[in-house]
Amino acid sequence: MAKKSGGNGNGRGTLTGSHMYEVLQGIDFEKRELVGKRKGVGLFDLVKEKDGRLRCYACTLCERSCPVDCIEIEHCPEFETLPFDVDAERAAALAEQPEIEMARFDPVVARIREGSGLVEAFHATQEAFGWLPRATLEAIADEMKLPFSRVFGVASFYSQFRLEPVGKYVIDVCMGTACHVAGAPLVVEAFAQELDVPVGGTTPDGLFTLQTVNCVGACALAPVVRIGDDDTHGRVGPNEARKLVRKLRKAEVAS
Amino acid sequence: MTPPTSKATDADKRTARIRKALAKAPVKGAYLASDDKVEIRVCAGTACHASGRVALRKALDKALAERGLTDKVAVVETGCHGFCEEGPIVVVRPQGLFYPRLKPRDIAEIVETSVVGDGVVERLLYRDPQTDEPLAHEGDIPFYQGQRRIVLALNGKIDPYSIDDYFNHGGYSALAEVLCADDPEAVIAEVEASGLRGRGGAGFPTGRKWRYCRENPGEKHYVICNADEGDPGAFMDRSVLEGDPHAVIEGMTIAAFAIGAGNGPVEGYVYVRHEYPFAVERLRHALGQARERGLLGDDILGSGFSFDIRINQGAGAFVCGESTALTASIEGHRGMPRGKHIRTVAQGLWGQPTNLNNVETYVNVPWIVLNGAEAFAAMGTPTSKGTKIFSLTGKIVNGGLVEVPMGATLREVIFDIGGGMLPGRTFKAVQLGGPSGGCLPAALLDEPIDFESLVAAGSMMGSGGMVVVDDTTCMVDFAKFFLKFTSEESCGKCVPCRVGSQRLLEILERISAGEGTLDDIERMERLSEDIIEGSLCALGGTAPNPVLSTIRYFRDEIEAHIVEHRCPAGVCRPLIRYEIDEEACTGCHVCFGACPTQAISGERKQLHAIDQKLCIKCDTCRQVCRFDAVRVAPAVPVAAEGRPQ
Repeated sequence: MAKKSGGNGNGRGTLTGSHMYEVLQGIDFEKRELVGKRKGVGLFDLVKEKDGRLRCYACTLCERSCPVDCIEIEHCPEFETLPFDVDAERAAALAEQPEIEMARFDPVVARIREGSGLVEAFHATQEAFGWLPRATLEAIADEMKLPFSRVFGVASFYSQFRLEPVGKYVIDVCMGTACHVAGAPLVVEAFAQELDVPVGGTTPDGLFTLQTVNCVGACALAPVVRIGDDDTHGRVGPNEARKLVRKLRKAEVAS
Repeated sequence: MTPPTSKATDADKRTARIRKALAKAPVKGAYLASDDKVEIRVCAGTACHASGRVALRKALDKALAERGLTDKVAVVETGCHGFCEEGPIVVVRPQGLFYPRLKPRDIAEIVETSVVGDGVVERLLYRDPQTDEPLAHEGDIPFYQGQRRIVLALNGKIDPYSIDDYFNHGGYSALAEVLCADDPEAVIAEVEASGLRGRGGAGFPTGRKWRYCRENPGEKHYVICNADEGDPGAFMDRSVLEGDPHAVIEGMTIAAFAIGAGNGPVEGYVYVRHEYPFAVERLRHALGQARERGLLGDDILGSGFSFDIRINQGAGAFVCGESTALTASIEGHRGMPRGKHIRTVAQGLWGQPTNLNNVETYVNVPWIVLNGAEAFAAMGTPTSKGTKIFSLTGKIVNGGLVEVPMGATLREVIFDIGGGMLPGRTFKAVQLGGPSGGCLPAALLDEPIDFESLVAAGSMMGSGGMVVVDDTTCMVDFAKFFLKFTSEESCGKCVPCRVGSQRLLEILERISAGEGTLDDIERMERLSEDIIEGSLCALGGTAPNPVLSTIRYFRDEIEAHIVEHRCPAGVCRPLIRYEIDEEACTGCHVCFGACPTQAISGERKQLHAIDQKLCIKCDTCRQVCRFDAVRVAPAVPVAAEGRPQ
């Protein structure tokens, strides 16, 4: 048994932990008033680097995350220039990605102008390219007049959006409860081994991307594997998984 | 002031106008599915699609064309029949013959015997798993006998692409009735009286929610349908959207009328998962049809009430099923919940009063309007009324969608409707409520299902996922699965959920590796308490439930991992090894070829052996062996050495 420690005798462990139960000054969210004794709570400020530059680049995440909505981000005329060279960083990030055909992006622009939301715009982009290239995210930010950080923040939040190019065959292994009980983890492993990529990875030849999905709703056929949008396979075991990959590879070599 | 007589005639005129508009909405000459016509119904739900309905349809068209029957026999692609285990399903009308698990090569025989002739292809019929007796009709099958279908009533009966089919089955008459009466308060009162509670999991009274939303002032009111069915293992919302999308539209429009009529503009959203492409497609089509026929948009059925619905697709975030996260996602933010000191009925989407209900809740509404609150309240238990759909999956004979009145026992659902366990297996637990729920053991099988009793037992209704597991599932591994899910899906906003679930997962991983201590159980309980208390939204607040219920009912199994370093179900890898049964092995060489790491050695027709150093415990050899010669044994022989270090 762990020895009971902590000076105030509440028996809940360490000294640091005991501070959790001390009432400091704060806000009672329900009553919306200040409570507790005045101790140790100050105002928030932005962190500055040694040379005086602000570390914050207004990604708006704190504004979004605050449980009591007490943070507001607004235009600040004191800082005319950004704290780092944005153009150079953008160019570097863009150079890392393969070139894309921006003409395929036009329908997305049209839909944004019709009033589609941000998440819908991502879906449309992903439909056109199979993933979300950085160039398109920048174009969406420009088109919707949003900061790029916000656009990127939303895109990276949702697991269905892919920020890297995908293979020709996207293999989705369902990891729902029914599939788990029926042995889906073994199936994922078999795929990962056969393709020699981790979950989320793409094979070097650009043929396969291995992903997991939380539930495709075909639980009676567990474990379920979906290849592309429409090719669904039910009752797949590790052995079938390996065979599936070999079959697709063979078809690819033949064509 | 208008004299009362003229007011009455105004109302009468309005009623007449609405009734006339509804009567004119169906297109004459459209094909209407009917139980009495010669028609072939092919299930086009996701599960049947995955088991090959496209090839089946092609074979069917070919077989009909060959016999010159293309114009005489209608083929209707319906929504899900619910019996997904047996897909792809074909029903031949008017006899109502039920053919499960069909292959394209069987089609010609069915057309010849049951469509051209009047016979039955006995070899293709569903067989009772107990008696092996062939059952010809849907109604004979035990899976359907114990059910009471209200929400799923039209699933499998109508073509989801045809609004005329829906009209033909009384569709939109509830909406017309509500519009004629022109009394939003009365609608709310009716829903309140029916005792309908939210089917998304929490069970908040629907009528009361509508009332709060109506009473809250705003520039605009929003009505949202939550079809972000994130619980892995639940698929009833998908099935309803795929099979009967107009029912959802009708329910939402009634809700919009109750909340918004005479109260300012209302707008609707359906937030549906991107993982359900068929549901999105069919709903989109249905919305277009409803607009075309004047059931959505401006001046619905000439009543003066306007309402329209937009589709918004999710992108694979479980937390977006939570109301505040869902509205954030529609607004184009990260799907992160906020504190609920202000409810969404007061300030929801774009800061306006918002009513958010589940798909199943909305579909119940037209039924209540047509049949009355009393008929609805007559079903169920004192606190939970009506029916509930469960998606019965896992290690069970008959998996699929089951709609039963509230208060049915788990035993009725699992053993009578679900057909019980697979041969040779024993029931271990049933998991309800997805990652927010808990596992219930065999001792609680006679528990009636309602909101309160499930919570008292340490589980919850959730959206209705019911996963049955047998003795081959390890409860520690099962709890680990849910924790892994919630820790990955935690949005990261509040610390108790983000860090707490991660720590819980680590403890469980330690236990399943045989490295846990008995203190760990107590530690998990204490940590769970803090996570429940401190989390911002219901995702975190319910995340420890799978762990707590496992500790409560399956403590001995956790202790077996810790004390004996043994996984009783033979699942946790560090605690097991694969062995070949010397007596059963015939040397058929199948496992030799299947092993991905060449860990199996042995000549043909001779005993094989597994090299434990090379074995990665992938289970392939056990699955391919036809003689049950590969078995799972404890990694360390417990009896010989006592407690290994």
